[in-house]
Amino acid sequence: MKHSGPMKKARAWRRVRHAVQILALLLFVALLIYANAQSPRRFWADLFARLDPLTMLTASLAGRVLLGGLILAGFTLLLTLLFGRLWCGWLCPLGTLLEWFGPRRARRKAPPQRWRLAKVLLLFAILGAAIFGNQSLLIFDPITILNRTLTTAVWPAVRYAVVQGEAFLYRLPLLWGPLDALHNAVVQPIFQGVQPIFALAPLLALFAAGLVALNWWAERFWCRYLCPLGGLLGLLSRLSLVRREVNDACVQCGRCAHPCPTGTIDPGDNYRSDPAECIVCLDCLADCQGEGIGFRWQPPHWRPGGLQEYDPTRRQVLAAVGASVLGIALTGVEPIAQRQPATMIRPPGATLTDFSALCIRCGACFRICPTQGLQPSLFEGGVQNVMTPRLVSRLGFCDFGCNACGGVCPTGAIPRLALEEKQRTVIGLARIDRDRCLPWAYNIPCIVCEETCPLADKAIQLEQVQVLSDHGQAGALQGPRVVKERCIGCGVCESKCPMGGEAAIRVFAPTAAGPSLGAILRQPPRQTSEVLESAKVRHGDSL
Amino acid sequence: MSEKAQQRALTRRAFVRLMAAAGFGTALASCGDASIPLSRELPATTPLATRSAAATVPPATTPATPPTGAPATEAPAPATPQGVAYLAVARGTDPKAITRAAVAAIGGMERFVKSGNQVIIKPNICVDYRTYEYGATTNPDVVATLVELCLAAGARRVRVMDLPFGGSPESAYARSGIADAVEAAGGEMEIMNDAKFRVTKIPQGQDIAQWPVYQDVLTADLLIDVPIAKHHSLARLSLAGKNLMGVVQNRGGLHANLGQRVADLASLVRPRLTVVDAVRTLMDSGPTGGNLDDVRLTNAVIASHDIVAADAYAATLFGLEGQDIAYVKAAAAMGLGTLDLTAIRIEEIAA
Repeated sequence: MKHSGPMKKARAWRRVRHAVQILALLLFVALLIYANAQSPRRFWADLFARLDPLTMLTASLAGRVLLGGLILAGFTLLLTLLFGRLWCGWLCPLGTLLEWFGPRRARRKAPPQRWRLAKVLLLFAILGAAIFGNQSLLIFDPITILNRTLTTAVWPAVRYAVVQGEAFLYRLPLLWGPLDALHNAVVQPIFQGVQPIFALAPLLALFAAGLVALNWWAERFWCRYLCPLGGLLGLLSRLSLVRREVNDACVQCGRCAHPCPTGTIDPGDNYRSDPAECIVCLDCLADCQGEGIGFRWQPPHWRPGGLQEYDPTRRQVLAAVGASVLGIALTGVEPIAQRQPATMIRPPGATLTDFSALCIRCGACFRICPTQGLQPSLFEGGVQNVMTPRLVSRLGFCDFGCNACGGVCPTGAIPRLALEEKQRTVIGLARIDRDRCLPWAYNIPCIVCEETCPLADKAIQLEQVQVLSDHGQAGALQGPRVVKERCIGCGVCESKCPMGGEAAIRVFAPTAAGPSLGAILRQPPRQTSEVLESAKVRHGDSL
Repeated sequence: MSEKAQQRALTRRAFVRLMAAAGFGTALASCGDASIPLSRELPATTPLATRSAAATVPPATTPATPPTGAPATEAPAPATPQGVAYLAVARGTDPKAITRAAVAAIGGMERFVKSGNQVIIKPNICVDYRTYEYGATTNPDVVATLVELCLAAGARRVRVMDLPFGGSPESAYARSGIADAVEAAGGEMEIMNDAKFRVTKIPQGQDIAQWPVYQDVLTADLLIDVPIAKHHSLARLSLAGKNLMGVVQNRGGLHANLGQRVADLASLVRPRLTVVDAVRTLMDSGPTGGNLDDVRLTNAVIASHDIVAADAYAATLFGLEGQDIAYVKAAAAMGLGTLDLTAIRIEEIAA
């Protein structure tokens, strides 16, 4: 078949779109991998979270702040006002993946059109909740979904496979030379030293797999019916200046309707489409035999896109907002509102901000945490805090020399504390279980918690304890004790405690109670020596 | 349809071929079984062969599976050559100069490094909490000078490594200042690879018979143990013997009966050169410190082929003796070196 001129041009455009999609996805993954605790690249690592107008809008509404990211989100909005849902068809990395993974032949019977309503109602529920300071439903934002899935499931699994494969080959001593070269040049720099571990990895992977599986029901099922960001951009697309048009040259062949990935081309309405549902993929253009379709500049005859049968009624919108308010009220009576759960330790500085209002559940902090201590919570912090970060000290501690999580947080829920300030920020309080602690319970010498305590004036002090051995001989042991005024709750003691299973020293939520008798009797603090000043001159902020 | 079927048949054959190749690879890879503890052929004689303690050393066992190229390069530790100090202490304010002076006094790096050798330097980079001024990590100038000396003596490759317990190796290497200094000197920092730890038999071990040890430090032509001398809350002092805990996994498990276990480890690892950094010594709140008030400018570097003698001398800088440090005492009892500082030739240099 000979292709006509416009058709060729349209196919060229489709290739451009595919290239842009690949580049955007690669950029997303590259930024995710590139950022590490040494160089959190705070601006670039969260580029996509900042480009996402939904997260920026809700975080600004819920947190009552004007976020810097709004500027980038404004770029996406501008793009949408010009070209419609270009973001969905060209840039969104989740959309790209959903486009790639699907059945070769689509099912004939897609869900009814009215289902498209769901994403808009979800959007209004999210916005309604945001006005009341809640962002729990942002777990359904496409950027947070992809970030969370790659961070907690895909990337750790890839690393595990690579490193285990490597370890397998390392069993053969002959291979050590080339393996070392490969490991030091590629594997180590990319994957770093710590194997990411996430308790929720299978669950989150299943959720993402579910989204992909929905493609077998209808192409881009998520983008059509569910995505709240798609809903937001769709509403704006009704106003877009460049829109798909069907003109008199259309021969009613129907070739365009079949490949439309969002199924918005309506054979019953002269093959027209809804700008709110069109993701500007241009596939219809490439399949058009003549010149019946065009994406054209609308002014001066511009009019907003028409209403559709699946558009929400005012009553439905109010119901969605009402439902989210009701949901906030219902989940607001959880115990967490009364008291911080003992094991819900937030990232450093989160207590200084309106954390739960600002956190968009994107998972950037899980990714950057060099010890993998930051984990997504399920219901530990209540229903409202699903997928927010918490420090699980037995898995990994808050590293004294690191303030990376604040650097990557796109909304400032975790503040950007200077390292020195972070090192003074209390996130928890350690508690020794004397019934399990090696010296206290079993007369076994151990000072690991004291040894690892990073504070200059150690929060763990060793007491000389007189003990009797099994044979009744007297001896002395060192037993650790926590100094409440000094402990910042970093959890390195819990992480390194050599006790099997649960640590004999554990970090729990901090207490405001105090000071202790020791603090009341304490001498005035020691003067900082001149050496410190000279060291500061030399090393600046790193001290 | 038949075309499709044909394609499928071809794919299946390719698949079978692939499986055969994978099976062969698997069989090949299982030749090097990691589950058997490795042994290491130890030098039959120690530098203290004349001492009675050395006679109690059991003969080295034949390795079941020798680690890569280990036995070939594992020459007996050199006895002190004529006219050269057994142990040298250099004092002065320039860490580079005193490091050079101390090594020169015990025969220069040429005594330990042969042309084309692979060298591993093991400093103490225990945590990423603070910069080296706080006396918890080895002085970068001392480490860099050793790298330079090794390369000048003809070493092919000089690697520097440790296994920090506080913070990631990347951040600890960087914050200690050692990464920059070593790379400027021409050495490489290596982040220890989990795959290269193997459970290794400790033939002379009195408390532990085997432990997971980083194989490269056993197979290198020369391992230089470069601790920083500092206070330690359990061991009293952290010196060269204690520094060897950074080449093993399951470090927590060594803390029970620390003295004997560190000595057992030293009997396996056997660094042939020990250089103790006592430039900025942490006198209290060790091993991680954090107060510059606890740091004393001792401005000394100690070098010896004898790890026990080096530690015994370093202990005197803290007003203690080798006898007072459990692992030093245990290592001496195992014949790994001498505690008797009066019986050896010590050269003190002001540089």
